[in-house]
Amino acid sequence: MTTPDTAVTSEAGRSHENDPLNNVDVIIIGTGFSGLGMGIQLVRENNKSFVMLERAADVGGTWRDNTYPGAACDIQSHLYSYSFRPNPDWSRVYATQPEILQYLQAAAREEGLIPHIRFGAEVLDARWDETQERWIVSTPRGTFAGKSLITASGHLSDPKFPNIKGIDGFTGEIFHSAQWDHSVELEGKRIGVVGSGASAIQIVPEIAETATHLTVFQRSAPYVIPRLDYFYTDAERGMFRKFPHTAQAIRDELFWGNEARFPQRRGVPAFIDQITEVADNHRKTQVTDPVLYKQLTPDYAIGCKRILISNDYYPALGRPNVTLETDGISHIEGNAVITSTGERHELDVLILSTGFEASDLPISHRIYGKSGASLAEHWSNGGQAYACTTVSGFPNLFVMLGPNTGLGAGSIIYMAETQISYIAGALKYMRENSVSSLEVTAEAEEEYVKTIDERAQGTVWLSGGCESWYVDPRNGRLTTLWPDFMSQFRKENGTFKDAAYVVKTHANQGQPMFAGGR
Amino acid sequence: MSFYPGITEGTVRADGVEVKYYDSGEKPGGGAPIVLLHGTGGSAENNFAALLPMLSFRHRVIALDFVDEIPEESGPLALDHFVSQASAVINKLSPGRPVTLVGYSLGAVVAALVAAEQPELVRNLVLVAGWMKTDEQQKLRNSVWQQLHDSQSAALAEFMLLTAFSSRFVATRPPAELQKLIAGIKAGPSRARKMRVNRTVDISAKLSAVRARTLVIGCSDDQMAPIRHSHALFGAIDDSRFVEISSGHAVVHERPAELFTRIDNFVQGHASDDAGAVLAPVHA
Repeated sequence: MTTPDTAVTSEAGRSHENDPLNNVDVIIIGTGFSGLGMGIQLVRENNKSFVMLERAADVGGTWRDNTYPGAACDIQSHLYSYSFRPNPDWSRVYATQPEILQYLQAAAREEGLIPHIRFGAEVLDARWDETQERWIVSTPRGTFAGKSLITASGHLSDPKFPNIKGIDGFTGEIFHSAQWDHSVELEGKRIGVVGSGASAIQIVPEIAETATHLTVFQRSAPYVIPRLDYFYTDAERGMFRKFPHTAQAIRDELFWGNEARFPQRRGVPAFIDQITEVADNHRKTQVTDPVLYKQLTPDYAIGCKRILISNDYYPALGRPNVTLETDGISHIEGNAVITSTGERHELDVLILSTGFEASDLPISHRIYGKSGASLAEHWSNGGQAYACTTVSGFPNLFVMLGPNTGLGAGSIIYMAETQISYIAGALKYMRENSVSSLEVTAEAEEEYVKTIDERAQGTVWLSGGCESWYVDPRNGRLTTLWPDFMSQFRKENGTFKDAAYVVKTHANQGQPMFAGGR
Repeated sequence: MSFYPGITEGTVRADGVEVKYYDSGEKPGGGAPIVLLHGTGGSAENNFAALLPMLSFRHRVIALDFVDEIPEESGPLALDHFVSQASAVINKLSPGRPVTLVGYSLGAVVAALVAAEQPELVRNLVLVAGWMKTDEQQKLRNSVWQQLHDSQSAALAEFMLLTAFSSRFVATRPPAELQKLIAGIKAGPSRARKMRVNRTVDISAKLSAVRARTLVIGCSDDQMAPIRHSHALFGAIDDSRFVEISSGHAVVHERPAELFTRIDNFVQGHASDDAGAVLAPVHA
């Protein structure tokens, strides 16, 4: 194995064959929040033998792609950032997309990750080679071999398109909110927005002001609560810089505040009542039209779908040039969307704000394990992983933000950092014990997933009477969300232990041993 | 009480009064039941509306409402009455099986006494924002409270809010939420009788008898039982470990999830929890 001791300075002009990073210890797929965090961990451990494969031309993942007007995070920035790279300069409680992207770009640059990244290197296919005991990954930038493979390709990275009859023949402009077409002029246009989820409620207030007419096609009404946003003063930012513990105190308070919301998801009445009252009051205060009020009143238990935060969504829907359409879309004809009741909405622009492929992760169709079967096939009954990170039949593979790592209320960065700690521990174990192959047993994986399925029972996500991306539509299992406290996730999954793994070392080549039996 | 689905209620007699209890029920494979003792201003529901459901996901949890109106022949009201009420509930619901006893505020004083006097009832002891001997700072606050109470001052609830919660918590609440908290205090149960008990607490001679594995939880911004009292409890009890939570006295409202996590970790028994250990802060 070649391990370059010095960091690569520039990749410009290199051909694939002599790319010094084409054979490394670790391959990371993706340079969003989780991939960059993993890379930073490796660099800080002085592990330079890794390459990061990025399909786009820049880092940032979902915060690079989602450039729609009004794009912002609905988790507070002092919490939605790396614990190991606190940023005293957040401009406000809920930073918007450009500021979050800048934060990630600076992290990649300042931590020295750029030389490790291959841009334009979309993973076309990744296969475990049993004889070499390496992952072989094909990209348009050449083939890369790595002892370990870490997928950090996110769970909100591939746009999901609605299945509407005639949509391909729409004669106006049409695009997904995560692939915003900034060349399309929206002022003075008739615009349709399909969806009423987290992206739509940020987009609608932004474009309602200049559109001639805006029609929002809503399938089910979201619960919306007030957005308690606030711009930090110069004095506060100075304080965060000079007294980092004051920013840490805010971060801790936000974390524990989210953690205390978990009983809402377990149907504890006092908690449900409290949050329902907040949402009801917000709706009553902001929606005065009785017809609109009825359309905007959800028909499922709160928390079953993501609770949204906005102060300007309801007022935007009350504007005279905005229509909320709840009849459901029948089909598309020319430049018109036809509803199930036959009403025609003629549009110049149609914006699909219909979310992401969260349960059937596209990357899983491109990763092939020991048996030659894909991860997607292994997951045909829904995504699952031991410790939410490793998969039987897929040695030396680590999945970040894959099965059961999403959150109903909380910062996904906490989950990613927990996995970084687990994976770093596994890689260290592999180095120190000359491990060539590390594979979780099928029994351990099944047993672990059983505990998750048990915990999912009785949560509002399964019993709240809604349809959401949290649940795999193929089998009704809660496969995207973590059904317990976040601190429990860290307790269970933050520290690598070898007990559940079959370990092959260079010394015992060909004679795998069960680590748990040693 | 509606705060946890499927909870059962009942009563047990102690010293001539009926003590109401709440029981979340056995958990398959669960360890010792957790018994929660509330504080001066509370009831089980008032103090543990968040903590009880959180603990109930993994453990059998029992709570009770202390009775402070006792028959004349048993009076005057003293800590001993609360001790016998707590032990009556433990003996009825977990006979022959020692429990994890969690006391909050005045409940921590009672819990420490139960553990000292009836060690066979208590396997693990958790003292949250407790104290062992009422000091002059506490007496002065108690006295101001008494004057506001006796004069039926409108300022009483605001005074209680200011002393119960951390200054940061109060400073960062939206005004409507503060008004709701104040209204909640006004509507809360009378604390006059328990406040009289508070003034004369002194269990310092008893604590060396505590044998239970103990966790002492002190709150950094506690103005009612300032954290020095938790430091002293930690010093007094042999098999104890200490953890600080960033909160005011009202930690059950301000930081219920952190409180839950600390108790849950302690019950599950972590290696780093040796006697005498000061547990490291956990940052998100």
